[in-house]
Amino acid sequence: MSRAVFGGVLIAALAGALALRLAAADLRPMHHDEANQAVKFGALLEHGDYHYDRNDHHGPTLYYLTLPVAWTRGQATLASLDERTLRAVPAIFGAGLILLFLPLTRRFGRPAVAAAAILAALSPALTCFSRYYIQESLFAWFVIAFLIAAGRFAERPGPAPAVCAGAMAGLAYSTKETSVIALSAVVLAAVLARVTTRSADAPDDATAPRVSAGRRAAWVAAGVAAAIVVAFTFYSSFLKYPGGLFESIRAFGVYFDRGFGPGSHSQPFGYYARLLAYSSSGGLVWTEGLVLVLACAGMIASALRSPAIPSGFWGRYVSLYALIAFAGFSAIRYKTPWNLVPFYAGFVLMAGVGTAAIVRGVRPRAWRVLVILALVVAVSHLGLQNWRANFRYPADPRNPYVYAQTVPDFLRLTQRVMDVAALHPDRSAMLVKVVAGPYEQWPLPWYLRRMTRVGYWTRADRAGRLADAPVVIASQDQADAVAAALGGDYVQEFYGLRPDVLLAIFIERPSWDRFLASRQPR
Amino acid sequence: MLLLAALLVPLAAQQAAEKEVLKLQLPKPMFIGTPTNIKSPNLEVITGKSRPPFMVPVGTKLLSLKKPVRSSDMQPVIGELDMITDGEKEGGDGYFVELGPGKQWVQVDLGKPYALQAILVWHYHSQARVYRDVIVQLSDDKDFLKGVQTIFNNDHDNTSGLGIGKDKEYIEVAEGRLIDPKGAKARFVRFYSNGNTTNDLNHYVEIEVYGTPIS
Repeated sequence: MSRAVFGGVLIAALAGALALRLAAADLRPMHHDEANQAVKFGALLEHGDYHYDRNDHHGPTLYYLTLPVAWTRGQATLASLDERTLRAVPAIFGAGLILLFLPLTRRFGRPAVAAAAILAALSPALTCFSRYYIQESLFAWFVIAFLIAAGRFAERPGPAPAVCAGAMAGLAYSTKETSVIALSAVVLAAVLARVTTRSADAPDDATAPRVSAGRRAAWVAAGVAAAIVVAFTFYSSFLKYPGGLFESIRAFGVYFDRGFGPGSHSQPFGYYARLLAYSSSGGLVWTEGLVLVLACAGMIASALRSPAIPSGFWGRYVSLYALIAFAGFSAIRYKTPWNLVPFYAGFVLMAGVGTAAIVRGVRPRAWRVLVILALVVAVSHLGLQNWRANFRYPADPRNPYVYAQTVPDFLRLTQRVMDVAALHPDRSAMLVKVVAGPYEQWPLPWYLRRMTRVGYWTRADRAGRLADAPVVIASQDQADAVAAALGGDYVQEFYGLRPDVLLAIFIERPSWDRFLASRQPR
Repeated sequence: MLLLAALLVPLAAQQAAEKEVLKLQLPKPMFIGTPTNIKSPNLEVITGKSRPPFMVPVGTKLLSLKKPVRSSDMQPVIGELDMITDGEKEGGDGYFVELGPGKQWVQVDLGKPYALQAILVWHYHSQARVYRDVIVQLSDDKDFLKGVQTIFNNDHDNTSGLGIGKDKEYIEVAEGRLIDPKGAKARFVRFYSNGNTTNDLNHYVEIEVYGTPIS
C-alpha cells in the first residue's frame, strides 16, 4: 500500500468516524447516566465547582474536558448547554482512536493500520458509545495511548515513553475506576509479550542502546510520578480539594462491592462475547462477528509470527492486552454494554492485523481479489449495522447496545411541559413538581433545565400542596396518591420513561385548555 | 299501545335474526396480563377480560385479505407491506412490518366500496405498549382529499393535526383492536399512528376489514 493511498484511507476513516459520531447528536434521548453527568458538568461550568464523588459519576476528566467545547460554543450555564456540546467530547475521543493507530504503522504495516482504522470508524459498538455523554471513549483512548507508550518503553526504554505512559495512565485513572483492570492488563501483556518474544522480533532492539537497570528503574519512577501528578491534579479539582486522590482510592471499596456483589446489572462471564458475536430481537439481527473473526486471525498470525506483521512483539502484546482485558472485564459480575469499549478497541486493532495477514496470505492473485471483495461486502454490512444502531434504532430496546435507555416517548412528556409553560403566565418560572423515586426522576433535571422552579420529591405526602403546581409529574407508584391529592381539576396523561417504566403527568385544567386551544386547526 | 308493541317485537326479532357474531381467528397471546400498571383517563380501562362477541349483519365477509396496501413509508426496514393483509396475526418476529418514526399511515384498498361492518387492527402484540395518535379514516378517494370519514381517533391533543380525538388510547393485545364503522361505505381504509410508548416507530401485524356488498 502506497503512502498516498494509506493517507487517503486514514483521512477518509477519520472523517467518516467523526461524521458517524457527531451527526444528529441529539437524536437519542439522554440516558439517565448522561443526564446525571450533564447536570454535574453544569455545576462545574456555572460555578467552577467539581468535587469527586467516590460513590458515583466516575472520574473528573470528562467534565473538565467538556469545558473547552462549551466555551467554544459560547455556553456558560447549564440551561444554555445542549446535547451537541456534551456528546462532542466522547465523539472526538472516539474518532481520535484512529489517530492512535498511526504510531503502530511501522509495527503492523500500513494495510493493517488502514484496515483497523476503517473497522474502528464503522464499528457499531465503538460508534454507539462515542455518542453517549459517558466516560468510555475517553477511557479507551487513554488506555490505548498508555498501551502504545508502554509498548514503546518495553521496546526501547527512555524517559519520553515512560513519562508519556505515566501521563496516559494518570488520565485513564482520572476517567474511570475500572482503569485498574485495563492498565493492569497492559502491564501484564507487556511483560508476557516481552519475555516470549525474541529480541530480533522487536524492530527497535537492534538500534536500542543498552540501558542499566538503575536508569530503567528511574524512568519507571518518572512515569509513576507523572501518573500521580496527573491523577492528583484532576482528582483534587486542580488543587481545590487535595483529598480527592485519596477519595479515589477509597472508591475501590465501593466499586469492588458493586462489581462483584449481586445486583440488577449482574451478567454471566460470556455477556460481552455474546453481545458482540450475535444477537437477535424483534426482527433485527446484530453481529460484530466480522471484527471478532478478523481479530482472531490477527492474534493467530501474531502468535505464529506471520511475515505480514513486521513486529512479533507488538502483535503478541496487543493480542494479550485485548484478551487479558476482555477476561478481566468479563470476570466482573457488574456489566453494562459500554464497558466493552476499552478491550474491544484492542480487538479492532488486531482485526486490522488479521485483515492484512489474510489478504497477504491468500494466493493466487484472483483469490486475493475475491477475498478483498468479500471483506468489502462484510465491512459494508458493518456500516449498515452502524447506521441502524445509531440512526434508525438508537433508543430501541432491540438494539443490543441500548441499555436502560430513555425511550423517545419521554421527549413527548418534556415537550408537553414546555408547551404548557409557554402558554402559562409564569412561562419558564411555572412551578413543576416531580414526585418519583431517584431512578424515575432522571433524566428530567436535564430536560427541564430551562425551567427555574422545578422541585423533586420521592413521595406525594412530602411534596407540600401539590395543587399549587400547574404541572405535576409522578412515577407509577406515586400516581394514585398524586391524583387523589389533586382532585378532578387536572388532566392526566402518561408517557414512557424506559421500557416498561411510565411516568404520569398531571396538568391543571386551565393550562390544558389553553394548550389544547393552541393545537386547534386555525 | 299494545298494537304498536305487537308490531315492534317481531321487527326487533327479525333484525336480531339478521345479525350474527363476527367470527374471528385470533392469534395466541404473547404476554399474560398487563405488566405495567398504567392508569389514565385517556387510557381505556384494562379489564383483563376478553372482548364480548361483536354482532355483524349476516353475510359479512372479510374483505381485506390479500388486498393491496399503500403506506407513507413504502420501504419498511422490517417486513413487507403485504404482510398487513396476509392473514397472519402471530405476534412474534417475522409477522410484523415496521414503518419509520413519527406519524405514518397505511391504507388498504378494498377494490370497490363496501358497507363496512367491522375493522380490526393489530399493531404489535408481543409487548404491552400503547400506540400514539391512532386514527382510522374511510374514503373513496385514494388520496383522502375528499369524502373522508373519521371513525376512530385517540389523538387527544391533535398532535397529528387531523383533529382532536375523543376515543381512548389502548394497550395492544392479541385480540387486536376492534373498531365499529357502523356500516359506513368506503373503498379505502387508512390507519394513522405516531410511534408508541416503547419506541418512535410504527408497526402492523395485520389489518382486517369486514363488510357487506352495497346493494
